[in-house]
Amino acid sequence: MRRLEGIAIALVLSVLVGLPVATLGYQYVVRPAQSEHRVIDIIAYAPEAGGFQPTVIRLTAGETVTLRFHAADVVHGVAIGPGLGIDLGHIDPGEVREITYTFDQPGLFTYYCTTWCSKDHWRMRGVIEVVDPASPDSLPLPERDPIIDALAAEGIDIDTYPDGGPTHGGAHPARVRVSTGLTPHVARGETALTGLTVPDILASLEWRRAHTPLEALELLAQENADADRARLADAVAGLWLSHTPGQPAAGTVASYNANCAACHGQTGAGDGPAAGQTAEEPAAFRPDSMLPMRSDVLYAKIQRGGMGTDMPNFGTLFTPEETWALVDYLWWLTFTDDP
Amino acid sequence: MRGWRWKREARLAGWLGVLALFILLLPVPAHGTLRTLHLDLDARQFEFTPPRFEVAQGDEVVIRLSASDVVHGFYLDDYGIERRVVPGVVEEIRFTADRAGKFRFRCSVSCGPMHPFMIGELVVTPNLPFFKAAGFVVLALGLLLAHRWRHLSAALSPQAEPVQGDR
Amino acid sequence: MTVARYDLLRRALWLGRVLRSRLLQPALMLVTLVVFTLAIVTGLFGTPAGSRNFGIVFVWIVWWALLIVVLVPLFGRVWCMMCPIPAPGEWLQRRAIVRRNPGRPRTLRKRWPRRLKNMWLQNIGFLGVALFSGVILTRPSVSAVVLLAFPLIALGLSLLYENRVFCRYVCPVGGFIGLYAMMAPLELRTRDCSTCRLHRTKDCVAGNAQGYGCPWMVYPGNLDRNTYCGMCMECFKTCPKDNITLNLRPFGADLFVSKSHRLDEAYKAFIMLGCALLYSAVFLGPWGWLKSWASLESLPNWLLYAAGLLAIVLALIPGLFRLCAALSDRLAGHRAGSRFVTYAYTLVPLGLAAWIAFSLGFVFVNGSYALSVISDPFGWGWNLFGTAHMPWTPFAPQLLSFLQVGVLTGGLLFAASMTVRFAGDGMVDARRALVAGLPVIAFQLVMTLAFLWLYLG
Repeated sequence: MRRLEGIAIALVLSVLVGLPVATLGYQYVVRPAQSEHRVIDIIAYAPEAGGFQPTVIRLTAGETVTLRFHAADVVHGVAIGPGLGIDLGHIDPGEVREITYTFDQPGLFTYYCTTWCSKDHWRMRGVIEVVDPASPDSLPLPERDPIIDALAAEGIDIDTYPDGGPTHGGAHPARVRVSTGLTPHVARGETALTGLTVPDILASLEWRRAHTPLEALELLAQENADADRARLADAVAGLWLSHTPGQPAAGTVASYNANCAACHGQTGAGDGPAAGQTAEEPAAFRPDSMLPMRSDVLYAKIQRGGMGTDMPNFGTLFTPEETWALVDYLWWLTFTDDP
Repeated sequence: MRGWRWKREARLAGWLGVLALFILLLPVPAHGTLRTLHLDLDARQFEFTPPRFEVAQGDEVVIRLSASDVVHGFYLDDYGIERRVVPGVVEEIRFTADRAGKFRFRCSVSCGPMHPFMIGELVVTPNLPFFKAAGFVVLALGLLLAHRWRHLSAALSPQAEPVQGDR
Repeated sequence: MTVARYDLLRRALWLGRVLRSRLLQPALMLVTLVVFTLAIVTGLFGTPAGSRNFGIVFVWIVWWALLIVVLVPLFGRVWCMMCPIPAPGEWLQRRAIVRRNPGRPRTLRKRWPRRLKNMWLQNIGFLGVALFSGVILTRPSVSAVVLLAFPLIALGLSLLYENRVFCRYVCPVGGFIGLYAMMAPLELRTRDCSTCRLHRTKDCVAGNAQGYGCPWMVYPGNLDRNTYCGMCMECFKTCPKDNITLNLRPFGADLFVSKSHRLDEAYKAFIMLGCALLYSAVFLGPWGWLKSWASLESLPNWLLYAAGLLAIVLALIPGLFRLCAALSDRLAGHRAGSRFVTYAYTLVPLGLAAWIAFSLGFVFVNGSYALSVISDPFGWGWNLFGTAHMPWTPFAPQLLSFLQVGVLTGGLLFAASMTVRFAGDGMVDARRALVAGLPVIAFQLVMTLAFLWLYLG
């Protein structure tokens, strides 16, 4: 009996003390020690509850790390950009997604939530600072964007409101609406173009990106004085997407749905489920608001965000190519809206 | 005496079984209205809007499912339909409501603390399973009382002393 | 009225040896202690997502289903034999886990107040947990704190009072287990009570070298109901006359022991039936606002919810039932006083059926979580048994409503025939007794239909 009692006491103590020590010890001591490289656990909470924890990770170029993302409350998603092509997909609460990656070059990268998880979803980001091993104390600087610099040099302020400051095309690009009554459609573009005299400059993608469809429409109208305006508008729509014929790429649509649709709406009508919660009404990608809009301004707004509007910046997430593809998709949404 | 009582209760149980089978197998004319019903269903923590909707048996149901705060899911009991819905992207769910009854739809993607209890109800009318169940309960009770009535009368005798119970 | 009983130990001699072993209870407690400790550790340190946390899933789905669907209806208080909650306190008090320590128990030997020697504290405790269940059931950390509080309270009480005072008078779970254990077809009883009467030393109460005196403060000699016997099996060990046994008997036999009918137990029956109804509406119903009120998202709404719940459970249901009982009394022409309390015991089978139906409703649906959390108890990305990524799969939803209807019907018929028997007690005209029972039976029918409507309607 004495021996049984001793065994019983040992068993009970091993449960009451051993079980917590063994489980917690395995997770926090043994598992990290077993790994060949650094393991960083990042817990994802909704932004109101803290967002990503931690929000800053500092690495040395050439270092291999395992990033382990946990979702704590609701479904989140994780991608790391720009330009890394890392998308871990969605993470359901209580689940874990991890990636082992070697950051070769110094630079700034952003891990961000890819699934709408709260009205402040877009604030949910963290920064990976990859420093040069030669100078570990100097932080890499974000690169300047030539498109945004060019807009600034031209004197265009993408945040200015219609009633103040320099404007473009007679009004603030993001806010002005014109009532043209036109509903150009890209599908009619090619037919509309046949037989029209098209100024050479309209064939230039560079020119189109720096001008509004309205300006193009005026140019076309000068050359084809007797043509119907609706037909001319259709021709502009065709021209505006002539460099990306056919349906939009699935990746771009998915990116728009994940990052933009919650405010701007799945069809670009500005009526997403979070539209009512933003500081400013989200822009609608419809002819009335888009005809006086420039592609490079759209690009800049996506890359840099809109001050005071709750439009987040995506420059830390998307490469210029990804951003231009999104801009083209906004035009596609505008020019396929057939009421 | 005890054996006899036992037989009495077994007979009651037998009748209850017959009743249950009868009600279960009660033939019911099938419906075929062939309407197509469109419905907007919104999911948010922790409810569906509308929380309950009715369709007629045979209807083709088209649900435009949206989520307005976080990612939710939709799982329809018995129909085996499951779908994940992300805020901003509408999902279209199409099915024929060929079975009558009440079917719960539940959030199938963990969406917060009360997630397991985020439930809505689809009622495919006429809700015969409910009426059958209610009818069964009432009839079973009636059967029990009738059975007791019969056997209590047998126990009744004019000179019986007041029965001393176990109080 | 005597009922047929089958003495399980007459044939299965091995069972007697198992029950007399001092190892039985500690061994079972050790198993549950592992699960219980893990539930607390995962609750405190694991993922806050309840459906992926071992603590939430194993306590509120697996344990709960096992308790209310299997253990209590079939085996009565058998859970109390293996419950880990009072174990640390009891072991410290005895300074022994397995062996019989002949020394004095380590406790201050205070006297438990007389007016608390009933179920009222357990009623209050259960309602306390019920009011916060929207939070406790869904937040692992809160759940863990509550789970941790139970053994600590039990430990504290064991320092002040001898024996299982916590289990007997305080434990919120123990109250309804005791109430519904009366339904079970299994009982611990003496073989022959005259043996006990003639036995002078009363080892079952005083204890002897083989075992402790009944920790539940029950004298097996006049044990006639399961309600307060914790099935710890000490009396099997202490009884020198081999007079203790386990019987199989008809379901619900204890309910007819009418001399024991008490208001505190009657109220336990009301509280349990009412809570089953409200839980079915709040947790399984389609009303989002009710769920948000119950989960304490805003204090004023929760206060409304709490007031509503208490009013329905403590006033509306007992009040309506009192009305029906009074009608029955009038029809029976009783002068001996109200049978309100006695009739309330008919709600025991009905309430148990309702709890089984309610529990099946979420256990079938969410049971599959158990597979994933057993491989990844903390939600840390472990995969111990390869089942961590099992998807959530509701089990046989088409079977559920049949089971619910069957169980509810069984509960109602049991309740109704109890009513007829209670009404006939002391009456000459048996048919008149049946008629007298009708108002109470109507109440039972309405309750049953309300459950049916919530589940199927």
